Amino acid sequence: MSDARQQILSRIRHATSGPAAVDSDVPRNYIRRGSLDETARLSLMVERLQEYDADVVECTLGDLPACIADRLQSSGKQTFVAPPGLPAEWLARGFDWKIDHALTHAEIEACDGVVTACFAGVADSGTIVLHHSASEGRRILTLLPDWHLCVVRRSQIVETLPEYFARCLQPPSLATYISGPSATADIEMTRIKGVHGPRFLHVILVHDEPATEV
Amino acid sequence: MRASLFITCYNDTLFPETGRAVVHLLERLGVALEFNPGQTCCGQMHANTGFRAEAFSQAKRFVHLYQNAEAVVIPSTSCVAMIRDQYHGLFQELGNDALRQQFETLLPRVYELSEFLIDRLGVDDVGAYFPHRVTYHASCHGLRGLHVGDRPFRLLSKVRGLELIPLENLDRCCGFGGTFSIKNAEVSSAMLSDKLHDVLSTQAEYCTALDNSCLMHLGGALHREFAATRTLHLAQILANTQTDPAEGAA
Amino acid sequence: MTPVDLDPRTAPPFPQAALPILRNTQLRKNVAHATDVILAKRARLVAEKTDWQQLRTAAAAIKDDVLGHLDQYLVEFEERCTAAGGHVHWASDAAEARRIVVDILRAEKATEVIKIKTMTSAEIQLNPALEAAGIKAVETDLAELILQLGDDEPSHIVAPALHVNRSQVREIFARRMGLAELTDDPEALTAAARAYLRKKFLSVDAAICGANFLVAETGAVTIVESEGNGRMCLTLPRTLIALSGIEKVVPTFRDLEVMLQVLARSATGERMNPYSSLWTGVTAGDGPQNFHVVLLDNGRSPILAHHTERQTLRCIRCAACQNTCPVYRQTGGHAYGSVYGGPIGAILTPQLMHMDHAQTLPFASSLCAACYEVCPVKINIPEVLIELRAQVVDRERKQAARAFDLMYIGMRVANSIFASAWRFRLAQRLGRIALRPFTRKDGWIHALPSLGSRWTMTRDLRGFPDQTFREWWASRPKEKS
Repeated sequence: MSDARQQILSRIRHATSGPAAVDSDVPRNYIRRGSLDETARLSLMVERLQEYDADVVECTLGDLPACIADRLQSSGKQTFVAPPGLPAEWLARGFDWKIDHALTHAEIEACDGVVTACFAGVADSGTIVLHHSASEGRRILTLLPDWHLCVVRRSQIVETLPEYFARCLQPPSLATYISGPSATADIEMTRIKGVHGPRFLHVILVHDEPATEV
Repeated sequence: MRASLFITCYNDTLFPETGRAVVHLLERLGVALEFNPGQTCCGQMHANTGFRAEAFSQAKRFVHLYQNAEAVVIPSTSCVAMIRDQYHGLFQELGNDALRQQFETLLPRVYELSEFLIDRLGVDDVGAYFPHRVTYHASCHGLRGLHVGDRPFRLLSKVRGLELIPLENLDRCCGFGGTFSIKNAEVSSAMLSDKLHDVLSTQAEYCTALDNSCLMHLGGALHREFAATRTLHLAQILANTQTDPAEGAA
Repeated sequence: MTPVDLDPRTAPPFPQAALPILRNTQLRKNVAHATDVILAKRARLVAEKTDWQQLRTAAAAIKDDVLGHLDQYLVEFEERCTAAGGHVHWASDAAEARRIVVDILRAEKATEVIKIKTMTSAEIQLNPALEAAGIKAVETDLAELILQLGDDEPSHIVAPALHVNRSQVREIFARRMGLAELTDDPEALTAAARAYLRKKFLSVDAAICGANFLVAETGAVTIVESEGNGRMCLTLPRTLIALSGIEKVVPTFRDLEVMLQVLARSATGERMNPYSSLWTGVTAGDGPQNFHVVLLDNGRSPILAHHTERQTLRCIRCAACQNTCPVYRQTGGHAYGSVYGGPIGAILTPQLMHMDHAQTLPFASSLCAACYEVCPVKINIPEVLIELRAQVVDRERKQAARAFDLMYIGMRVANSIFASAWRFRLAQRLGRIALRPFTRKDGWIHALPSLGSRWTMTRDLRGFPDQTFREWWASRPKEKS
């Protein structure tokens, strides 16, 4: 409806051209870099994750495949969906893997869990950031299954939210920020977890090489 | 040190004892006080009720009356907030440059009572004596408008014999809000009911504040309920000495 | 339940609407409890955020920049979103927005649509229009589901069903979902909702959502949530319609680093919402392939022209103002007669109505400024309230009927009294005389007639003292004056 478009834009222009117009520079003196050293930062990330009931284990890069296998084993689950770009060595033996080559909703719904990588972790809020690349998977993969194992590399973890934004050389076209279990407080402000979305989040924090500072 | 007392329309009429306490207190501290008899009202009631033209005429009058005062002392946070927050806008919209200039030069010389004592006179111990259990309610205009901060607490802490009981939810509005107390009398009363509960829980003998407007509302309900707590403006506590008890304290 | 009217054109004036709610002790208890919980969480997080004031200042400045150049940013958003495969529509008013949404759904032959909570859809009264078009709207936020199944209305921007307690929810679910055995344990209630809604998520092919932020630079849309129903609606259906007020745009992706930090802490007392989603137009193979954004004006653009009122549009709908408001604490949202209640509602609703309705809302405040103190984008709500009060009075005083309105008469008389010291002194003396008959022996007044009865209904008033301050001052020995 280009009529409405024209009307709205011209009303706005008319309203913002007069003396009411205010020029404002945005002062950016809020915290843009963290102050914690690496050990403290990682420790904070783990603490925040555990605060929202994510299960966290740590391992070295070499031990990662074994660690993944161990997590899958202790879940008691059998069928897992994997994004198409998930490293092959992460697909532990002894489980039914569905690789997401255009799986249907029903096929994904039938899986017990999902394993993915991520783009970044923000320690301050315990946030896991997914940009939905090939190793992180389509958005539906981390939404339908009830159990999500996410591999977070040490080098991906920053302390503050602005530092994550600084790491985005290009703004992502898709992003999901996970900072808690799905929860509601709509009934008498009593927090109940696991409404929709995965009720169980497991994180493997891999000690890889530290990232170079951006 | 000279200062001109702006007593406020409602203190003048309803709480003259607060005015008398301010006079005794400041004179005791060596301030030569003046009282300009031309004073009436700062315009707050009209401004906050939407009667802007009327508020402007009262604001103009205030500025003319006090343009030559060394300092203006006002025992009411809401009136000072009116002057500080709204006069500029009124003069911008309805006044002229000359008036605005006059106001700008006057503004730094306008003080709420606790500001005058702490900032201008540089005292927190005014030699007061008040051997009673007292609780303090933070009037909204003082708290958020003027940012009086810990000034009243500093003053209270130096009052000999006074036992200060912290008030739960001391920063929650009592519900007076000027004409709000009439236009929305039921909601105002519901807010008052919660505030009363907090005040009575302290079991203090007195509830004090920097504003008689809040205290009139609170005190009116305490009196209706035959409660054992009474309201008293801070000035009256500070004016009280061992040899010279202020009014309203007995 | 008494039907609640949230249409500002027909809702009763605030003082009248508040009355039955003040007598609803269950609701008052629920509202106080809910707001206390969120406030405490917010306070803790704000205390730990040492750059909180700097973030607020930045957030306010970002929004002011947006509002000052809104046309540019909206056009930029439209270009980027369209280039990414989205369709952008513009709606001048509620009727137009409803028509656009219904037309899109009709073209898809949709008979059902799943919805994420969005104030904007309630603002334009979308659901009845959908129903009239034969399209069933299913609310998927737990609170909205409770309200929908309970034929109720939202009373809070972020926790719309906070006026409903668990046994009331149990009753609603048991009746509408056919679950006679359901207990009132919140876990059980939530599990019932989860099962009921999952069927919908996996079968309904169209969804409607709102938007927390529109990113001009990239054409992205951002939504924050707690439950995961948002992600379901944003990901599973083929068609997605995002309904957004024009003021929701932010200039760049990086501006979200400020907005996200202040939003979650203010809205729910969390460092980040459990789930925040960002998507740009259409992505092949991932999520809805038929994506539409409806940009809604509906009374917003005229607000831009007013210097004091423009800040109203900075609002990011966090509801911190509602949580902290001592008036809202007593009445909840329904008393405001609008989907937007509390302090923001008191300034936004009348303005969206071009000041033709909801004229009692700017007066529904004691001007305590607690809202301003917590607003993450620093809207000086008391300043806007006072401005709107002046506008209401400027309109009303021209009406002939006001010649008999006690308030108007009183204000004019008071002004005339304040204009001169001798008139003031005279009025003081006359007042003293007039009140004497009402003053009891203890010096207090227990009952007053007319407007005065609104005071004395719950409060005594000390009678006028025999001597005013200025009379005392004038009587002092000369050397002291």
